[in-house]
Formats: sequence, C-alpha cells, structure tokens
Amino acid sequence: MTEFRWELPVRGDGRHIGSVSAHRNGFDFLDQVVLAAELSGLDGVVAPYDPEGEESWVVAGSALRQTRHLRVGVEFHPAFGTPVYAAKLSATLQRLSNGRLDWRLRVETDAADAAARGDRVSGADRYRRAAEFLTVARGVWNEEQVLPGRFGGTGFEFAGEYYDVVDGGFRGILSGLPFPIVHLAGNSREAIELSAGHGDVHVFDETADGADDAVASLRDAASRSGRTVRAGLALPVIARETEAEAWARVLRQWREVYPGAADAEVRALALDGSRWSGFGRIGYTRSIGLVGSYEQVAHALSDYRTRGIEIFELTGHPHIEELHRAGEHLLHLVDPAGRTLVGQENQA
Amino acid sequence: MSTDFYWRIGMEGDHASLRTPRRYNRGHAGGHGPGNIAPAIRGGRLDGYSYIDHMAAVVKASESAGFVGGLLPSFPVTEDPWATASALARESDTYRFMVAFQPGFLHPLQAARMSASLQRATGGRLVYNIISGGGGAPQLWWGDKVAHDDRYARTSEFLDVLRGVWDGRPFDYDGRFFKAEGAALPPLLTGQPFPEVYFSGSSGAAVDAAGRHSDYYLSWLEPFDDLRAKFDGVRARSEKSGRTPKFAVRIDIVARHTEEAAWAELEKGWASVDRAAADRAAQGDSVGAARIKGWVPEHITGYRDLEVQPNVWCGFSLIRGGPAFGLVGSYEQIAERLDQLIDLGVDAFILAGNPHLEEAYRVGEEVLPLLRRTTPTRVRTRSTR
Repeated sequence: MTEFRWELPVRGDGRHIGSVSAHRNGFDFLDQVVLAAELSGLDGVVAPYDPEGEESWVVAGSALRQTRHLRVGVEFHPAFGTPVYAAKLSATLQRLSNGRLDWRLRVETDAADAAARGDRVSGADRYRRAAEFLTVARGVWNEEQVLPGRFGGTGFEFAGEYYDVVDGGFRGILSGLPFPIVHLAGNSREAIELSAGHGDVHVFDETADGADDAVASLRDAASRSGRTVRAGLALPVIARETEAEAWARVLRQWREVYPGAADAEVRALALDGSRWSGFGRIGYTRSIGLVGSYEQVAHALSDYRTRGIEIFELTGHPHIEELHRAGEHLLHLVDPAGRTLVGQENQA
Repeated sequence: MSTDFYWRIGMEGDHASLRTPRRYNRGHAGGHGPGNIAPAIRGGRLDGYSYIDHMAAVVKASESAGFVGGLLPSFPVTEDPWATASALARESDTYRFMVAFQPGFLHPLQAARMSASLQRATGGRLVYNIISGGGGAPQLWWGDKVAHDDRYARTSEFLDVLRGVWDGRPFDYDGRFFKAEGAALPPLLTGQPFPEVYFSGSSGAAVDAAGRHSDYYLSWLEPFDDLRAKFDGVRARSEKSGRTPKFAVRIDIVARHTEEAAWAELEKGWASVDRAAADRAAQGDSVGAARIKGWVPEHITGYRDLEVQPNVWCGFSLIRGGPAFGLVGSYEQIAERLDQLIDLGVDAFILAGNPHLEEAYRVGEEVLPLLRRTTPTRVRTRSTR
C-alpha cells in the first residue's frame, strides 16, 4: 500500500502566502487540521521540528489522542534531551495510540538553532551522535512484554561518546510495545548511511534530476547492512480539476509575492512531467513539487511509485482545504487498490 | 482564604482499593486479568481502550469534584507525564496538569518550548513538579551519571535557562551543565504565563535550589512536628535569596464516614503485605526516603503501630508504591488534620487515594466542605455541560 502523509502547519496558516490568519493558528486550528487529515483518509501526519512553531511532542501527543487511524510522526533533534527520555515519552504515546507513533529524527539544523542549545557537535559527528541516539533508544526498548521489577532494568549497557546507560531497559507497562517507526531524511551520503543502519523510512526531497539515483543508493546501502529501508518523497502539491485551474492558482500565489510577474516567468520553472520548481518561492519549505489536474498529479505520483517510492509526504495550503481536496480527488487515483471498497468493485 | 487542592493521577495504573496490595486492575500493569478496566475484556478479547481513557476519566472526575488539577508523577515504572498532559490537554477544561520531571533529561530550551505549547494548548494550565531524582540504580537506568548534589546544581541551571528564554529575548548562558547562545522562545510561543513551580527534595542542596526557584516547596507528609521543622529549615535557607517560599504537602487519604470504617479499609491490605520486599524497594540516595525509614518502628505487631500520631499512618508504602505517610480517619478527622496543616503553614495540597476516580468524588464531597480554615480554590468552568 502506498502511504500518504501530511506535514502539519505548526506555525499557523492562512489563505495567502506567508499570512497567518487569526482564525488559523494555535491548537483550536491544529485540532481541525488533524481531524481533516483523519477524515480525509490520509495515512499519517508529521509534526515538524520548527523552532518558530508549536513544539512537536505536544502537537503529536494531542494529535494521537484525537485520532483513531492516523500515524503521527514527531520530528525532533537528538539534542532535545536524552535517548532514554525520548523512548520513555514514546512508550506512553505508543500505549495510548495503539502503536501509531513515528519518529523523524532531525540531524541537520541551522547554526543559530544549534547555538541556542549550546550544541557544538558539527559535521559528520552529528550523524555519529544520531546513530548512538537511536542505538540507545532501541536498546532500552523491549518490544516483548517484560515483567515489572521495581527500578531494575533489563541489562542494557551503553558507554558511548555521547550517552551512558547502566542496566537500562523498559519493563512492565513500558514494555511490550512497538518501537516507533524511524523516519530519517536528507540527500547526503551520511544521511543515507544513517538510514541504512538505523532507519525504517528515508524521506527524500525531490531534485531536478529526480529521485532515482538517491533511491538506488539507499537500497544499496541498506542491503549492505542487511536491512530494508522504505523510500519516501516530500512533495508540495497544487492539484485542481483542470490543469488550467491549477496553474491559475499557482499564478495567483506567485503574484502575491511578485506582483506583475509574467506567466512565462512562472511557467519557466516547470520541469518534466507535472513537476514545478517554484514552490520554495511561494512559502513552501521544499522547492520542487507537482502542479496539474488531479489526473496529472495522480499520474506523476503513480510514476514515482513504480520507481520505488512507497511513502509520500504531501503538503499544500491552506491545509484544511487542501487535505480535503487530496482525500476527495487524488489519493484513490494513485492507490485504487487501497482506497476503494472491494465488494463494490466486484458488483460493478 | 482559598487554597489550591490538587488530586494525583496514578501514572502506573490504579487499584480497585487498598484491600488488594499492588494488584493493579486499572490499566496495563496488572496483566489484563478478569476484572481489568481500560482495557477490559469483552467477547474474549481486549476492548481496545487503554489506560489513557481511564486517566481522562480521572481528570474529569477531579474537575467535577472541585480540585484545581492533578499531579502526574514520574518514575521509571510509570507513564510519562509530558506525553499524558499533551494527550489530555484538549479534552479538559479547567484541570491544571502538574507535570513531574527531572531537569536532566530534557534540554531547558526544549522544555521551555514544550511548556509554552502546552500553555497554549490548555489556556495556561501547566504546573511544574521539579524533581531531581532519587539516585542509585534508577538514575543510571535513566542514563544519568550526575551525582546527588550536582543534580541540584543542574536543576538550578536548568531553571535559570528555562526562565531566561521565556520572554523571547535572546539569552546567553555559560553553565557547567547547559550553554546557550541567543536562545529564546519564538514570538508564537511567548506571552504565556510561566508555570508555577512545585519543588521537591529534602536535602540541603535541594532546599538551596528550591529557595531560588520554587513557588511552592513540596514535601511528602511527615509527622506534623517534623514537617514544621522542615518548613522552618526551608524558610531559613530561603532568606539568603530573599524569597518567601510557600509550602505544599502530598498526602494519601483514607477517609470514611467513621474512623473504624477507615481503618477497616486498610486491614485486609495489611494482612498480605510482604515486608521484606517492601524494605528492599527503598534504595538510592533520596534523603526524603531515608527520613521516612527512621519513623517506622522496628517491631510491628499490627498496622496501628504505624499510626505515629492520631490519624497519621506511615504504612502506605507497604501496600502500594509511593510515599509512606498518609491520613486515615473519619471525614471530620481528616478535615481537622488538614486544617491543622494549614495552621502549620501549608499553602497547597496534593491529595490522593485509591481508586483515584471514586476517591476524588468522595474527598471532594465529604471532606473538603468540612474545612474551616480555608475553602478550596474554585475554577470557573469554560463551558457548562
């Protein structure tokens, strides 16, 4: 099954580029977005680590409690605290959500954000620390039920460069739960190696050259480690009933930022297929995404799927409207097997 | 005068009563036997509910019964309070979440961001219970090698940074445990009230740290004279920093319509206590735990030997996890003891009883209205349902 996830707008949202409406920020609004994702049939949401936005663990905890089906990814940085504490927080979230928590460990962050936390770890060391973090978190976690023993661990020992644990390990109500599915991201060699050794899903950003080479290198690296890592792709999407409507939407948004811009200037950023490389200039965090009719965008997504992408992390704003659009018009075209009733198909 | 009364949530699970020691039948700790609640067994299988659903019920009961909120304790064997508060933030109206945490496990900027988001999610209902760890094996289990007195130094630094970044202006810090350069909450998260701080810890290092940072100095219940002496010590040490601490006490309560009925409630539970196992459970370098041991008589002939002064019983830790001292008596007696504690200088209470849900109603309906020295703080409800 192809999975569709959506990145939550933790800074708020509005109808216009860069605007945050008074009606669309804070938790009353986030509750609505989470509900929109749940009811529209998305498979998951991601609470991004955003130093300017709502804190991701709080957003994720609240989202898990308010939903039945969505997987909820919490993105956080290894320097947020200790791996044992991340695991402890996660055991409760797994218990209360019936195992729907994912982790997205953020390794790269900007210099100001690192300095604010007094974090001096840089370069390739950041990946070594992330690997230790995941080793310790998985090490204290026991997916099998272990009987409670007051204040005793299950013998996990770790003396690393960054973390130390003596007789660690979860028992009692902290055990017998699935470890969160670990999502990692980044197109660099170090990022891919980290996923090969420690990740379950690796989410790429689209590049002008496409994702094929990156997906292939992930497969190679993972198989050398004897592991399987699913490939994901993060894509902003503007899909409408017709291609013309989709481009009209793009142009309206573009002209909010660049008044008087010519159509040709905007169209010049189109790549092959339905890909367009202007998203970064109209308020999205990624530059390349998809523009077109529902059929065209679905076709492009299906094409990625045949080339090995199993998870799509979509985004579009205003979020509530775009989530409904995705659920009503897009997802079932990409993944008909998973999103139509088999019985009805047979009758037809 | 009004006083904040909190009610604890059992974060490991809950017991149907104290008559069955350490038998958790609410939540997942008891192993899903017959008679388990959240999850229950229906049609031969677990019904899909989990302990969070029962905790949500305790939150609603505490709101209805007149408590301002509840303490969410944190131990290696319990659910996590930050995760629980985040999950229940949006389905409660007035309940203040008193989150217990050890400052060493989260970076203070991270804690500030989580706190500010929780304030936004709840309309300012986050309260801190800062604990600095019991030491010993559990501390290493957490991956924390910092020694006892250093843990309080770290706690102090942690709170310096947490307060430093709160107003959103760039903050620099160069401490032994934490460093920060231009750290600040983002504009979206500023303007929230800083959570009230309930500070726990009985040692000199703890009291020094508490003096600088706490709104309330929180103690487990002890015999009243000892408690008075402890408060005096905290006051004396706090004078150095020019702060006047307020005091809070955490008390387990067995209150019934008569004193006899209250003691009878403990009788069965006492009969099946494994004292050797209970002794082994008290480990670590916690000064609070060592103080409690000193009061337990060496030779015990019956549970009433543990009544160290009228209605003050120190056997609770033998029949369920947690602190030793609590109050046992009639509704009138318990109210009288609480009034005495107010006279002694207590400014806020964290009460508890098993099972938490039913006992919240009982204490709210039968005991709190009998208080003469104070009235419980009433929180205006956001909506009428």
